[in-house]
Amino acid sequence: MNIRKLAERTRAFLDSDERKRKEKRKFLKHVIKKLKKHEKTLIKKLECEADDSKRAEIEVKIALTHAQRKKGLSKLEEFKKPSKVKAP
Amino acid sequence: MLKKFLLLTILSVLAFGFWLSPDFKEIAAGVSIFLFGMLSLEQGFRAFTGGVLERLLLKTTNKLWKSLSFGVISTTLMQSSSLVSIIAISFLSAGLITLTAGVGIIFGANLGTTTGAWLLAAFGLKVDIAAYAMPMLVFGVILIFQKGRTIKGTGYILAGLGFLFLGIHYMKEGFDAFRETIDLSRFAVGGYPGVFLFVLIGLIATVVMQSSHATLVLIITALAAKQVTYENALALAIGANVGTTISAIIGAIGSNVNGRRLAGAHLIFNLVTALVAIGLIYRLTEAVDQISIWLGIGKHDYTLKLAVFHSLFNALGIVLMLPCLKPMVRMLERLLRPRVRSAAQPHFLHDAAFELPDTAIQAVRQETLHLYDNASEVIANGLGLPLDEILNGKPLEKVVSKIRSPIHFDVDENYNENVKGLYGEIVEFISRAQSNMTPEQSDELFSLRAAGRDIVEAIKDTKHLHKNMSRYLRSEELAIRSEYDKLRLNLAGVLRALDEVRKQGHESTAILSLDELKGQMKQYDWDLNIRMNQWVRDERITAPVTISLMNDSRYAYQVTKNLVKMGGVLFSTAERPLREAEQSVSLDERELAEALGTPNNEKGGTNDEHP
Repeated sequence: MNIRKLAERTRAFLDSDERKRKEKRKFLKHVIKKLKKHEKTLIKKLECEADDSKRAEIEVKIALTHAQRKKGLSKLEEFKKPSKVKAP
Repeated sequence: MLKKFLLLTILSVLAFGFWLSPDFKEIAAGVSIFLFGMLSLEQGFRAFTGGVLERLLLKTTNKLWKSLSFGVISTTLMQSSSLVSIIAISFLSAGLITLTAGVGIIFGANLGTTTGAWLLAAFGLKVDIAAYAMPMLVFGVILIFQKGRTIKGTGYILAGLGFLFLGIHYMKEGFDAFRETIDLSRFAVGGYPGVFLFVLIGLIATVVMQSSHATLVLIITALAAKQVTYENALALAIGANVGTTISAIIGAIGSNVNGRRLAGAHLIFNLVTALVAIGLIYRLTEAVDQISIWLGIGKHDYTLKLAVFHSLFNALGIVLMLPCLKPMVRMLERLLRPRVRSAAQPHFLHDAAFELPDTAIQAVRQETLHLYDNASEVIANGLGLPLDEILNGKPLEKVVSKIRSPIHFDVDENYNENVKGLYGEIVEFISRAQSNMTPEQSDELFSLRAAGRDIVEAIKDTKHLHKNMSRYLRSEELAIRSEYDKLRLNLAGVLRALDEVRKQGHESTAILSLDELKGQMKQYDWDLNIRMNQWVRDERITAPVTISLMNDSRYAYQVTKNLVKMGGVLFSTAERPLREAEQSVSLDERELAEALGTPNNEKGGTNDEHP
């Protein structure tokens, strides 16, 4: 590892904002993963369900889980590392 | 009064001693500096609580051997069995660990504290310890002046170690000089009378200094200066071991019954160990000689031999007491029973919880859950339904249709009796607990306080709902009765769903499924509007009834919204960052409306916009 990389890693370790950002991303990813799995389970359940009222209930659940996952993905974008802007 | 008299006596004796001998003054100053170092060290370690220590404690107490190891290792690292005992009591009173785990930690801490004697005998007396103390003090104090919590904590630890070393140095110097004027070993008492006398002296010294560590350092430095005989030093060490329970007993005073049980276990362990050590003192001395030969400790290296003895009798205590641990826990549970508390009184808010920020947060969380238990009773009764009927798994339609009698329940009176006072206690506790907390910990307390406010708001909306419900459940118009039954059914469903989510708080999807409840209530509200429009056109209901129903549907939605918000904060048992991630993806009004394809009304009045 060269000196610049080492310095960058040390800075990232010492920078509490950077650590918090990484932590937030990590846990958000975990929640999104769970929601994706849950959404898939609900879709499978819907395919096997014949009763109309129960289907409607599951559809609401899918719509909400999907919306939560989308919200999570957009939050994840917000927590992305700010890209370095090169000086002109 | 007795306390004041005792303090005055101690101060007078010390002052007389200082006047009599400058060497005694040096020894006493050494002890004071040492104790100040311990306080500083504790302060430093407290800066690191609120994270690592708590997580470690929670993960390492599910098995007895783990609790024991935690006690040994944490006390070895922090060099303070008192701090470990206080942490264990604090965790126990906040309901974070079991009594058995707490007892395991205390047993381990007793063994861990013996490492202090080893460090001092092997290292402290053989090098110029003051030379290490000076740079530690300088660096420590510089770091204390810094802003960061961690760096400040490191400063306190460094300064604490510096003061400990400096204290030991002064004690050593004092005893060396003392030897030239007075030979204290002339007052040595042989045989069992000597054992009992010096056990008592060790006990009193530890009670006064509230630190067995300080007593042990005093004993070892005195032993090194030949101011006390080896035999009497062993007895003093036994006395110090009993005296150290005083910190746990003081710590347990502000705690709940579990904290007192743990202090009881600590006292029993140290008393039994001391009795066994006194009874077998000569056998143990022979065993120490044998072990010392194996370890290559010199025949006349009494300070190290004292360290061997200290470890040996504490290890013996653990071996003897471990098989009795479960019966002892049962006995303590039988002897020390919790005070019968009414539902309106706080169950988890104890002064012991203030010791650590995380235990204070946990106590508030538990108490707010208790507040929710009381509130859900009020809400269920306000709907004219018993809570146990709602939660017992029967089809809710049957429960609602079965109970149609007029609701004779005073929501206001019950709110004042079982909720308002308790919420007040929580708010007061939170305001007291906030000092010494990180911004994240303060935020968590604020969110718990907000969860409490959501609960209170839910009751207030139930109160409004209750008035019309009592009236219209007896309406002659079937459509009206059935609409109010639907409202009851929906809210009973919310209470049942919340109960189910609470049982699976570790599951993020369960916590997030709470949004569905809001969605269902919003959907119901939308459908109700459509139905009402039709009824008004058909002249089946009058305008005042329409307005009542519209308002009550809004109240029901508000109850759901508040309870769901509270559930998201209160029911999740995940770690703080995961809880925050869960809350960040929970849907707000607008997002919920978008997902369901219903119109949005941000202010919560969902009926204003007619279909």
